[in-house]
Amino acid sequence: MIDRNLNILKNFTVLYLEDDKSLLTHTKDILDDFVLKVFAVNTSKEAFEVLENEKINVIISDILLENENGIDFLRTLKEEKNLDIPIILTTAHTDTNYLLDAIKLKVENYIVKPINIKDLLNSLHDILFPIIQAQEIEKNSNVIKTISAITDSKQVEVIKYIIANLNNNNQLIASYTDIMSDISISKPTLIKLFKELAEKNILVKVAHKTYDFNSQELNKF
Amino acid sequence: MIKKDNKLKRVLSYLNSLPFSYKSSFLLFIITGGMFIIIVLSQISIYTLKNDFDILFEKRTKPIIQLENIKDIYKINIYDTFYDIQQKNIDIQQSKEIISLGQQLINKSWKNYKEVTLGKEFEKSYVTRLINNYFNVKKSYSNSILEKNIIPIIDRKINQIHTTINKIVKLLERKHFDKALELVNLIYFEINSVNIYLTNLTNYDLNLAITEKNETQKVYSLLTFILNLSIIFVFLFSIIFSYIVVNHFRKLHFNLEDAVNAKTKELQEINDYLAIKIGKEVANSRKKDLIMFQQSKLASLGEMLGNVAHQWRQPLGSLMMIIQSFQTKMSLGKLSYEFVEQKVEDALLLSENMSNTLNDFQNFFSPNKDKALFKVKDCVAHSVQLSKYLLERENINLRHIIVDDLEIYGFYNELSHVFLNIISNAKDALKNNENQKKIKIVVKKHNENIRINIYDNAGGIEENIIPLIFEPYYTTKYKSAGTGIGLYMSKQIIEKHMNGIIKCKNVFNKVDGFNLEYGALFIIDIPLTQKENND
Repeated sequence: MIDRNLNILKNFTVLYLEDDKSLLTHTKDILDDFVLKVFAVNTSKEAFEVLENEKINVIISDILLENENGIDFLRTLKEEKNLDIPIILTTAHTDTNYLLDAIKLKVENYIVKPINIKDLLNSLHDILFPIIQAQEIEKNSNVIKTISAITDSKQVEVIKYIIANLNNNNQLIASYTDIMSDISISKPTLIKLFKELAEKNILVKVAHKTYDFNSQELNKF
Repeated sequence: MIKKDNKLKRVLSYLNSLPFSYKSSFLLFIITGGMFIIIVLSQISIYTLKNDFDILFEKRTKPIIQLENIKDIYKINIYDTFYDIQQKNIDIQQSKEIISLGQQLINKSWKNYKEVTLGKEFEKSYVTRLINNYFNVKKSYSNSILEKNIIPIIDRKINQIHTTINKIVKLLERKHFDKALELVNLIYFEINSVNIYLTNLTNYDLNLAITEKNETQKVYSLLTFILNLSIIFVFLFSIIFSYIVVNHFRKLHFNLEDAVNAKTKELQEINDYLAIKIGKEVANSRKKDLIMFQQSKLASLGEMLGNVAHQWRQPLGSLMMIIQSFQTKMSLGKLSYEFVEQKVEDALLLSENMSNTLNDFQNFFSPNKDKALFKVKDCVAHSVQLSKYLLERENINLRHIIVDDLEIYGFYNELSHVFLNIISNAKDALKNNENQKKIKIVVKKHNENIRINIYDNAGGIEENIIPLIFEPYYTTKYKSAGTGIGLYMSKQIIEKHMNGIIKCKNVFNKVDGFNLEYGALFIIDIPLTQKENND
């Protein structure tokens, strides 16, 4: 039913600002199953209170609130409080005025009511996914750094050179001499490393000075 | 003759062609001028004739009497006295007195005669002379030589006789009878001779009188002729011009009659045309009214539809969320009996609300044609409820104050329609109001009417358009979808269907109950005794 892996939402908190209490309750009931915590509020005043006390990852806000305006709430949030939190706006209006204001305030998404919960969840996913990715990348680079600290650092440098010099077709076009001019490594060590990579089908020679890099092979490990 | 006729005809036609004012002035001129001439002429002729007769009498008749007197005196006083003396009937002394008296009388008469005849005081009148000169009335006598000759002769003879008489008287006193008798005989002769001369003179004067009389006769004839001529002339011209003027009047009358007939016919045609046109227009207007009523309803329908849409949007959103929650719960394997129970309960509540909303609007648009007894309070509250969304969207604060809870008999929906129209107008007027936007509705009893006052604080309607706002298709809302029939329909409903009055003015009012603010006031008066009137 869901294309995206919505499990990633599990670790995030959401602030939901909506004046229609019935809609708020029912939407909260659904979101509760997907995210860490939903803070459901009726007014911007309550919203600011929550923002002061809790760490909020995403804000979902209605534009037309009782006696106030979601756009004004966002403006205060971004321009006065300097809080850079991703925002999804929901609205019954398809008014371009609101749309222009929303773009100016760099709103992440704009959902027209009645809310399709899939759209909302996907939107949450799309907003939060880069954050998760950034976390993953940081994790991986930490892994690499740790590995390179305990293994031969020269070999790690060669691998970095290979990946950095791949062209659009995932091919490396270089001779041993080219590599050695960049990295101070002995030729026998270099040949041994290339042979090892060729055995594991990761870097396969297809022509003179030309190697294919099979990234799929990496997943086998 | 033919030429003359043509000329006459030409003159007549020329006169006919003259403007009426000229004709009438001619007539007036001829009548007054003619009258004046006639009067003057007759006065002159009367005066002239009288003058001439006077002259005739004074100059001719009187002298003849004088002459006759002289003759008589000669004959009676002198001749007879001498005869008596001869016959010795009287004495000399007596006869002397008689004779001297006679002499004095003769002298006096003769002197008178000469004065009258030779004097110039009895001139002919100027007019007579003028007429004589101009009309060649010739003096047929002019025998003045005779007169001139005779008078000196008589003068001489009289003197002679007087001397002779004096001689005789002296002789008689001296008693010379023979000599006296001789002279008396001579005197007889002389007296006869003088008498003959006097008779001549008398004849001459008589002749003169006759000629002068003839002259007067001629003057009279001439004057009469001129007078008659002028009378005939005036009469003739008066008739001619009267005829022309009358003819003109007749022509004018006929022309006018023709013109009036033509105009009457024209008017009749226009009238007929107008009658047809009015009939058509009335039919058109009725059609238009119907269309307008429809349009007004449609406009309200549009507004109401917006209202319904909004009132439905929220529960619909919730309902969709509930439905989707089942799916997500199911996919996560968390769908529990309690969850379904709770969500279904919520969903039913929501859909019930939606159903109620729909009923509200359906009631408003249902064409219930029957009049019914209803509370104005309910109608106001319902209308406010129906326009709640509009008011909320524009952030308008509406208060309704029911002072007297009254019932009226009429069309509930139509009255509601009127309220909605006025509220909608107030809403539009308040659109650009920067202060708190307010509307106040007050329902109370006023005389035998129920009065509904609807105030706003939008600053009032421009005074010069107040008389126009109830006109059909008058609108100030050029941008929004104003059809200009809302207030017109409201007026129709209140005045035609409810026998009430709707009017509008600008007033200061405490719309929120505290501050005086300027704005429009719509006053609706509906008679309370409608039921009796209509049933």
